[in-house]
Formats: sequence, C-alpha cells, structure tokens
Amino acid sequence: MSELTREMTRREFARLAIGLGVGIAAADWVWHWFLAHNDPAAQAHHGANPDGPYWSMAIDLEQCIGCRRCVNACQATNDTQDGHLWNILIKDENTFEKPVFLTRPCMHCENAPCVNVCPVQATYHNEDGLVVMDYDRCIGCRYCIVACPYGARVFNWGERDDVNPQVPTWGTPEIERRPRGVAEKCTFCVHRIEAAKERNLTPGIDRAATPACVNICPVEARVFGDLRDPNSPVSKAISGRQSVVLRSEVGTNPRVFYLLPV
Amino acid sequence: MTALRRISPFWIWVAFLLAVIGVGLVAVFLIFTQGLGVTGLSDGVPWGLWITLDLSCIGLAAGAFSISAITYLLGRESYKPLARVAVFIGLLGYSGALMALVLDIGRPDRFWHGWVFWNVHSMLWEVTMCITLYFSVLLLEVFPMAVEMPFLAKYKWLQNFAHRIHHFAPVLAIMGLGLSLLHQSSLGATYGVVIGRAALFRSTMPLLFIVSAVAAGMAFTVHITLIVQWIKRRELVPNAVLFEVGQIAAAVLLLYLYMRFWDTTAGTYGYVPGRTEAENVLTAGPFAVSFWTWEMILGGVVAASLLIRARLRQSVMLLLIGSGLVMAGLIANRWHTTLLAFTQPLAENPAVTDPLITAYTPAWTEWATAAMVVAILTLLFSLGMRYFPAYKGEAVPEAVTAAQPVPIEGTIPETG
Repeated sequence: MSELTREMTRREFARLAIGLGVGIAAADWVWHWFLAHNDPAAQAHHGANPDGPYWSMAIDLEQCIGCRRCVNACQATNDTQDGHLWNILIKDENTFEKPVFLTRPCMHCENAPCVNVCPVQATYHNEDGLVVMDYDRCIGCRYCIVACPYGARVFNWGERDDVNPQVPTWGTPEIERRPRGVAEKCTFCVHRIEAAKERNLTPGIDRAATPACVNICPVEARVFGDLRDPNSPVSKAISGRQSVVLRSEVGTNPRVFYLLPV
Repeated sequence: MTALRRISPFWIWVAFLLAVIGVGLVAVFLIFTQGLGVTGLSDGVPWGLWITLDLSCIGLAAGAFSISAITYLLGRESYKPLARVAVFIGLLGYSGALMALVLDIGRPDRFWHGWVFWNVHSMLWEVTMCITLYFSVLLLEVFPMAVEMPFLAKYKWLQNFAHRIHHFAPVLAIMGLGLSLLHQSSLGATYGVVIGRAALFRSTMPLLFIVSAVAAGMAFTVHITLIVQWIKRRELVPNAVLFEVGQIAAAVLLLYLYMRFWDTTAGTYGYVPGRTEAENVLTAGPFAVSFWTWEMILGGVVAASLLIRARLRQSVMLLLIGSGLVMAGLIANRWHTTLLAFTQPLAENPAVTDPLITAYTPAWTEWATAAMVVAILTLLFSLGMRYFPAYKGEAVPEAVTAAQPVPIEGTIPETG
C-alpha cells in the first residue's frame, strides 16, 4: 500500500491533530500580536487619539492673493527642490465666477491612500493622525505617488546638490535633506508641532509651533490649529463660512478645508 | 573563412546577447550611482517601461502555473513535456520581474524591507510575498531538471533530493496555482485599488489581469517551444499538444475580450468623471494604436482566430504567428494600462479631470536595462535548452533517477 493511501494510526492522527492545533494557535497569536503592534489602521485610522488634537488647516480662497509666499517659505523651511515642491500654487479660472488661487499642501487624509498602499509602512499616521514618512524605511517603489489623489507626493530622483533659491529670503532649512531614492511630502511642519509639545506652545497660535506656510501668509488666508478646540484659529475661521475639501468623492477625509469665495 | 565557419551559430548568438547585457550594465551602473533621475520617469509619471516589463514578464510566465495545473491536477499526462518547458520559462519570467523591480525601486539596498516591515493593507506587499514564495516553488519545480545534468549524476544525495521533489509535483502544482491566482490578480488590483485615479479604480482590474495572463502565458509557452523546435530541428513537444494548448489559449483569450469589451464599453454609457476622459484617451488618443491595433485586433480577435484555425488546418505557422500576437497584445495592454493612470493631472490641479498627456519617453537607460533583462533571460533559456537533458529531445535518462535508492517507498526493488 502506498504511503498516501494507507490508513492513519491513532497515534498519527493524534499527532496530526495536536500539530494542527498548536500551529493554528501559534499563527493566531502571531497575527494578533502583529495587528496590535504593526497595523497602521490600528495605530491611527480615524484621526488617531480621539481625545488628542485634530490638527487642521483652513485655506481661504477669498483672501488668497496668489503671492507664492507660502510656497517659498515651505521650500526654504523644508529644503525642498525646485520642481518637487511640497506646497504648490494653482490658478483656477474655471471653478468660480472669478479666478481664485488654490494652494495645495498635503491633505493629511484620515483615509490616506498613500498609507494604505505603502508595502513597508514607511508612510504612516503619527500619534496625532498626521501623515508622515520614515525615510529610513522607504524602498522608493513610488506606489504612494501613484496612489495620492492630490499629486502631493514627490520623489528624490537623485542626490541633492542644488542651492535652495528661497534661502535665506523666506526662511532657513529646519530639517535635513532627504536621501536619494525615497518619496517625500508635506508634514504640516511636524517638527515644529513635536517641539511645541515639550515647550508647551500651541500650534496655530504660537508662531514657533505653527507651519511655515501659515506664519508667512500676509493676508491670513491660511489658518492652522486644533479643530476639536472651538476657540482655535482654524475653528473660528471655518465657522460661518462655506468650506469644501478637495475630491470628497474619493472618501479620504482631508484635514485641509478650503473656504469658498463669498 | 574556415575559422569563421567553425564558430557555431549558438556562440555567435551568445556573444550577441552578452553584448546587449554589456550595454545594459553601463546603464545599471549609471542608475545605481546617480539615481533614477537618469531615467525618463518623473513625479507625474512615476511608473513606466520597467513596470511594463515587470508586469509582462509575470503575465507571460503564467503558462507555468496554468499548464502545470492542467498536467498534474487535471491529469493530462501528454502535457508533461510542455509543462517542463513552461516551468522553466516561468522561473525565468519571475527572475526577470525581480531584476526589473530591483532596478525600479529607488533604494535597491532595502529590497528586503517588504519581508520585514509588513503592511498587510498594501497590494504591493501581497505581491512581494506571493512572488517570492512562488519563485521558490518554481525553483523547486525546475530543480529536478537541472540535476539531470550528467556531471551532477555522481552526487547521489542531490539525485535523491530531486527525486523526492518530483514526487511532490502535484503538491507544487497546487501551491503554484494558489499563489498565482493570488498575485496574477493582485497585480491588477495594485492598479484597481487606486481610488484617486479614475482610469484605474475598477474592480474588474484583477480579473482582466489574470485572464489575460493565462491566455498569454499559455500562448507564449507554445510560441517559445515552436521557436526552439525550429532551431533544434527536433520535436520537444508533440504537435498535437501544442495545437490543443493553443486552442485553450484562444478560448481564454475570447473570454478576456468579452470581459474587456464590457469593462470598456459600459463606461461609455454614462459620464464618470476622470474615467470617461481616460477612456477617450485610450480609444481615440495617443494610446489608440496600442489599444485597438495591438490589444484588441491583432493580439485579440486575429490571434484567437489564428490559434483556432491553426488546429483545424494543422498549420504550425499559424500557431506560431497567433501565439506571438497574443504575447504582443499582453505587452501592449500592460503598457497602456500603466500609462493611462497618469493622464489625470493631479499635480496640476487635483480637482480637474481633463486628461493631460504627460510626456513620458523612456530614456536610453531604461531601454538598455530592459533589453539587458530580456537578454539575460534569453541567454539562460538558450543555455538551458542546450544543456538540460530534459530539453535535448532525448528520452529523459531514466537510468539517472531510477537507479538511485529511493527512500520514500520501500517497495521499489533495488537495482544496479
């Protein structure tokens, strides 16, 4: 009788059953350990800590004069490269009766497509729910650039040796240049927000804790703060105004709100 | 003259392939030292020729799992010689895909991160896992053929091990089927889940990918077998089997065309922002030749009818042309599916759906490295066809495997 068709002995059956049981239990344990420690959805799916701040930005399309200062300040502060900016200015002449200037940082989506598609969790929600990058983990597959519905991600196509044209006029670099071969994006100047926690400053109010693009705006078209705090600048700016998020049809739930022209 | 005549055409062929590989290595050096800036890729078109090569390699390698499944799971013993060619092509196809991926990622030094830092929500993570696992399955499937080489005959343990693996051919076929059903589809889903790009976001993507891969993978195996037989002037696989597999490929291809027809036309019966514009670009824009001529007509309808006619008329030439056209159709499909994604000008204005025909022309570095990958695969395939006993057209040397003591089943009498 061949090995495969022979009937099992009781001992063999017991061994197989115990083996399977232990195997399934072990796999289940590994899976749950993994979900608890490693799953970006578990970490920060819907805006992270529900009691913590909900950092958001309001951009007033009525106020914005298209002066590019937020674009320049961002390039200086985050030391980004020409043609691969984190914050861009678009002149939109078709959507409203009058032309408007639309500046676009990262939306820091709650349901961020880039976070979902990254094969190595190099981009993730931090404890405040902001979408940030681990440049030491990124493998440079650029799936996040493909997936981002807002075109907000750029890539380091080579080693950086360019001179930043906005330094020192619009600020000085506060973070390191990113290495060749990794993706990058706007962070809401997360380094300032993190530093503010130790110094007990309030992002959106204290300038040292507020994103560079918000500080530089001469007409206060950009406002930042905690949307869960009704007295924060961003809550006040939004109240009483019609606001939209970009591409709401894709369900990303952005943290950037555009106040419509009146 | 006489000296030249003595060089066999095979070695001229090898020298040509080595020259192509040499040029490619120059480009590889540039890419690895200077970064991906030396390619034609950009933030607007982050994926291009390499991804097409990668998807085509894997799609054309689908013959390995589909023909193995027919042979070992449906019990078609007569397909065994073709299955042996198919798994070898499969192994090479996946090797090519892995090479293209290492070139394509910005940090090839971190290629192993996918196995360590899991993101179970990412289609690319799933693809990484499946491809590497399936690559191991293919290695195990090809291994017994490699150890048939005469100079390895003296290593008894190797022979025993190979013999043992060969016993598990049906198990390997099941694993191959399972893993392939997963990742051939999820390569399509890699595009299908991208909600931000209307041209891609559709649940039909994984189905279209796997059905087209099965058709093209089988056709490609037949195509390559015919070419090898023509060069070697010797039969590797009985013609009847090749015609039959060609016809199965044609049937799968017709199923694909049917699915693709509804997938494309259903979108034209209403306006879907972004998707409708993208489909106009596909059917009437710069991709129209790739779509109509190559995917739909030559690689679709014409190829299917040629494959069916080939069997009716027992015409090897029709089979050769038909199967070649299916291959071309799959490559065209992977090319315009990839590039269509980047016609929506997200960075110009995310809210606008008007198509932007982003300028992407692959740089010479991309062409040279793509040609290099193809040349490496062709070289390995040529060497395998020349030196693996399984493809020499000789009877597989039974003596080599059967003469060994076989520890699995004690009932086999000891010989020689």
